[in-house]
Amino acid sequence: MSSERILVVEDEAHLAEVICDNLVLEGWKVESVADGELALEKLLSDPPDLVLLDVMLPGIDGFEVCGRLRASGSRVPVLFLTARSGLDDRVRGLELGGDDYLGKPFELVELIHRVRAILRRSAWSATPSPVGDTLTLGEAVVDFRTYDVQIGDRHLELSQKETLILRCLAERPGEVVSRREILDTVWGYDAFPTARTIDNFIVRLRRLLEPDARAPRYIHTVRGTGYRLTP
Amino acid sequence: MNKRSVGVARALRLYVAIVVAYVALIGWWVYFFSTQAARLQVQLDGTGRALDAAQLEVLHEIADGDARMFLFEGSFLFLLLLSSVVLIVRASRREAALGLQQRNFLSAVTHELRSPLAAIKLYVDSLLGGRVSDEKAQRYLRHAKKDVERLETLVEDVLTARRLDEGRLPYHHEPLDLAELLREALPRLSAHYANGFGDLQFVEEGAATVDGDRAGLLQVVDNLISNAVKYGGESGPVELSVRRSGARVHLAVKDCGPGLPPGGVARLTEPFERGGDERVRTRPGVGLGLFIVREIVAAHGGIFRMSSGGQGGTGTTVTVDLPAWEGELP
Repeated sequence: MSSERILVVEDEAHLAEVICDNLVLEGWKVESVADGELALEKLLSDPPDLVLLDVMLPGIDGFEVCGRLRASGSRVPVLFLTARSGLDDRVRGLELGGDDYLGKPFELVELIHRVRAILRRSAWSATPSPVGDTLTLGEAVVDFRTYDVQIGDRHLELSQKETLILRCLAERPGEVVSRREILDTVWGYDAFPTARTIDNFIVRLRRLLEPDARAPRYIHTVRGTGYRLTP
Repeated sequence: MNKRSVGVARALRLYVAIVVAYVALIGWWVYFFSTQAARLQVQLDGTGRALDAAQLEVLHEIADGDARMFLFEGSFLFLLLLSSVVLIVRASRREAALGLQQRNFLSAVTHELRSPLAAIKLYVDSLLGGRVSDEKAQRYLRHAKKDVERLETLVEDVLTARRLDEGRLPYHHEPLDLAELLREALPRLSAHYANGFGDLQFVEEGAATVDGDRAGLLQVVDNLISNAVKYGGESGPVELSVRRSGARVHLAVKDCGPGLPPGGVARLTEPFERGGDERVRTRPGVGLGLFIVREIVAAHGGIFRMSSGGQGGTGTTVTVDLPAWEGELP
């Protein structure tokens, strides 16, 4: 029986009830609140393992809740569950630090899969890596727990996604890791980004960590497949 | 800014440019005619033949007459152009208001359609999953029915608003006792709003027969009560009263809610207007209820009013005055 706690933020009481019932049937512990301010208070005082967040809410809207949550430094995974599912809203939700976005109406089985995928990824990123908490690439030392990078005297900070991509590659040193595998591990089931998104992240990682980003020594592209890390 | 308002703004800029060109032209006419006599004088002096005073007087009169005519025509044209600019500005403002209305509509309808649909889908999926108790299954079915009714109301409201807007809603006038109509509607509405909402109280002061359309007035009553319950029902009872006064019948619906938002009645009775930010929703609805009430009441030759005691939970009172039935009762 899993013991992860999920907070459902939904102002339509009947909808919240049926969502909560189904999550409980899957073995998760569930709580629900009906307005944005209460949700934020709860998320900050007693952070759950995942929050299902509606956008159109009384008080402050879901985007604002997510924005303030991230601004406070919280990394609680956020799955937006909303009737506002246009491209602009999806992009906005993800830019504000949301982990996934599901438009209403949705399939129950899809919701359960996505929740499971986010919790799995979250558990993976929270457990210590089998290759250790740090990764050394030449002069650069990356800390998987704090997302910090130390390069000689210079100090940098990676984003959560950049750190997780690096960790995903580091856990299989010398092996080719496909873009799909990176997407599944870092973003998860049917996630919003495309394989091209990974390439953009890799470009940035190389710029930050490689001595010469145009002739990478550590993060190699395997044409047509993915990437390989050789520490 | 959408494509249509960009087009209007461009047309407006072009129009302003034309007006400026005309003003410059009129300026040129003023200068031209005010110096015409002097220029004629110089040209005549150049010929070496002197004109007598009478001839000069005639020349001046001709020049002045022409100047007056052109000035009058120019000013008339200028006024015409100026009024066109005013019309264009008004049209572009209406356009912007319409754009806002459409955005409100899309946002509200998106939420109002998708939320009950999502709930119904989840109820069905949960029931098909076969893991819910009989008691829970009954509960889901009851909720699903309410959500279907909510969708039904939404579709009906949108269609009614459309017909009202196009003046296509047929009315069948007949003698109707408004008190009886309320008595008929109350059990249905009380049952619908029984879920944690305030009480509905009904004060009846004698017969109140109006000259009206049954379906239309039922919708007025439904919308007014559902609004009062939605926006003020949690703060106290909703009071309804019906009484006849001379040739009019007054229906009043009073709630104990927070009162009217800024902008008041005019704004709230516009279609798809709910006041506030659509993302921060506190109540279900698409903002058609009061528009429908206003239009139906107007079609009955009635008067619709809303008043509020101001801030601090003093409530809103909606009154509808309808013409009483003057003929013989069947």
